[in-house]
Amino acid sequence: MTSTWSAAARRALKNSHVQFLILGAALLLLPVLSANGIIKTSTLSTLGFVLIYAIVAMGLNLLLGYSGLISLGTAGFMGLGAYIAAYVQDNLRLGFWVALLAALVIPTIIGILVGVVSLRVRSIYLAIATLCISEILLKTFEQAEWFTRGTAGKQSTFPVIFGIHTDRRFMFSVIVIALVLIMMLTHNIVHGHLGRALHAMRSSEVAAQAMGVNVLKYKLFAFAMATLYAGLGGALYLFFLRSSYPSSWNLFLSLNVIAMVVVGGLRSIFGTLAGAFVIFAVPELVLKELPVVGDIPGLPYIFSGILIVVVIMFFPQGLKGLADRVRHALTPRPPSVTKDAAVVQEATR
Amino acid sequence: MSEVLRVENLSISFGGLAAVDDLSFSVSDQEIFGLIGPNGAGKTTVFNCITQFYKPDKGSVWFTVDPERLAARRQKADNAEGQINLVGRPVHSIINYGLVRTFQNVEIIGELSLVDNVLIGGHVDFRASMLSQMLRLPRARAEEKAYREKAMEALDFLGIGHLADQLAGGQPYGVRKRLEMARTLMAEPKLIILDEPAAGLNESETDGLAETIREIRRRYECAILLVEHDMGLVMSVCDRICAISFGKFLAMGTPAEIQQDPLVHEAYLGERDDV
Repeated sequence: MTSTWSAAARRALKNSHVQFLILGAALLLLPVLSANGIIKTSTLSTLGFVLIYAIVAMGLNLLLGYSGLISLGTAGFMGLGAYIAAYVQDNLRLGFWVALLAALVIPTIIGILVGVVSLRVRSIYLAIATLCISEILLKTFEQAEWFTRGTAGKQSTFPVIFGIHTDRRFMFSVIVIALVLIMMLTHNIVHGHLGRALHAMRSSEVAAQAMGVNVLKYKLFAFAMATLYAGLGGALYLFFLRSSYPSSWNLFLSLNVIAMVVVGGLRSIFGTLAGAFVIFAVPELVLKELPVVGDIPGLPYIFSGILIVVVIMFFPQGLKGLADRVRHALTPRPPSVTKDAAVVQEATR
Repeated sequence: MSEVLRVENLSISFGGLAAVDDLSFSVSDQEIFGLIGPNGAGKTTVFNCITQFYKPDKGSVWFTVDPERLAARRQKADNAEGQINLVGRPVHSIINYGLVRTFQNVEIIGELSLVDNVLIGGHVDFRASMLSQMLRLPRARAEEKAYREKAMEALDFLGIGHLADQLAGGQPYGVRKRLEMARTLMAEPKLIILDEPAAGLNESETDGLAETIREIRRRYECAILLVEHDMGLVMSVCDRICAISFGKFLAMGTPAEIQQDPLVHEAYLGERDDV
């Protein structure tokens, strides 16, 4: 009886959705630990931002990892989500849910419109086009004072959700729930019909078209999902930090999100989360505490720059690939491998 | 025998150079048809014009589509014979009509398993909406399961079913070629276009290939149009052959007729001095 239970448990643990839920449950312990003073509030805040950036990076992973498209516009769309959330909640006073919905829908619609125009160009031109969009958005954040209060910065409050006046710990839990939902959604997208189409498109546009994949449609889909995730990340950022400044939404943020995807490993959900942790939390929590090194200005950028170079040169599969290699080294090779090789040779004889 | 494909007065030129010049031929239902010619004769260009990767300057490509298939796509035939003209249609729509191709330099997705690669071939048949796939609703799951079984059948048919869950990227060339063929079978094709299926295969693999091509026709009841340099394969497997040179029609007939044709000899070996 116990053996069937453990077998069932082992099978459940292999299910990605179960893994995401377990991760979420573990992360939900952090606010409790923080309330008891076991971890510092500032550490909880840093981890909250890690999770927010992980959500945004997962969107970029759909674009960069699965579809082979580049975007340098992540920061702009994330900022747009943040300002829309603030405007709808504090100026229009429509509450948390409407603010969240607006921060998801409006950037996505703008993203699709941008995509229709810019996805006809490729690689470096797409990077330039998305960078331009991001810079236009950044200038808008600085100038449109009725909307963003310009460089003075938009101040906001913790939202009221289901009648509960939230605080930072509560918002951390909201971020965790959003992250788990996004991980599940991403998993569903990439492990099915949609994901295959994205793979086909990245691998060869010509072959994808011959198989009936409408390349522009799926590029738009990937682009729309990336802006949706960025909008969500922006809204969560605002509700968590309660303020937004135009200077937060510059090119460095977009590059850092790319670094998270690359360092974590292209096409890996857990890898992206790990990448977000390494790129954002390691400088904040570890490097800044170091003597001498911690005082270097712009340290996080230097760190992620060096990391990208190291990863691309030595670990092109990122943290995900590193973890796979360790796991591979630790598991004993099953004897059937040689038999399989023989079958392959037989089949290809 | 009814025809499945009719190419009429096809012409295309690149920078003033005629790659295909006023070419016409037709392929019958369930026929294995070979297109041969010396290097640079424009064989692959003809394929690309049929599948609309290139837009021909002139001419039409008539393709016979099952009435049910047209009805399912809510489309009408372009002529009285129930055919549609492929020219001018989007590249990604061509597979909808039951015309599917392979590539000279095997285009498969290395990061996906073999079975997922085959499933790409069924891309256009998926009916569940994007949203129901994202939320993995029962309809999307049932559909995925049904097509997965169909993909497994295609893999088993080509003798690589035992590799279904392995990544395509690490497979040897022969397996990748078979995989690409398995992918075409997902589309319930009326006509499969094979672009140099024997390239890179050794002699015994080529023999196996001839048998596989006949098997595909028998089992899937479709016509096959192939471009191939391996004359042994072409002569043994084709019902009829069309020879072209510099984009122009040269000769058409059974393998025996083509082998005897003086024009074909000339094109391949150069003019004979002693005649």
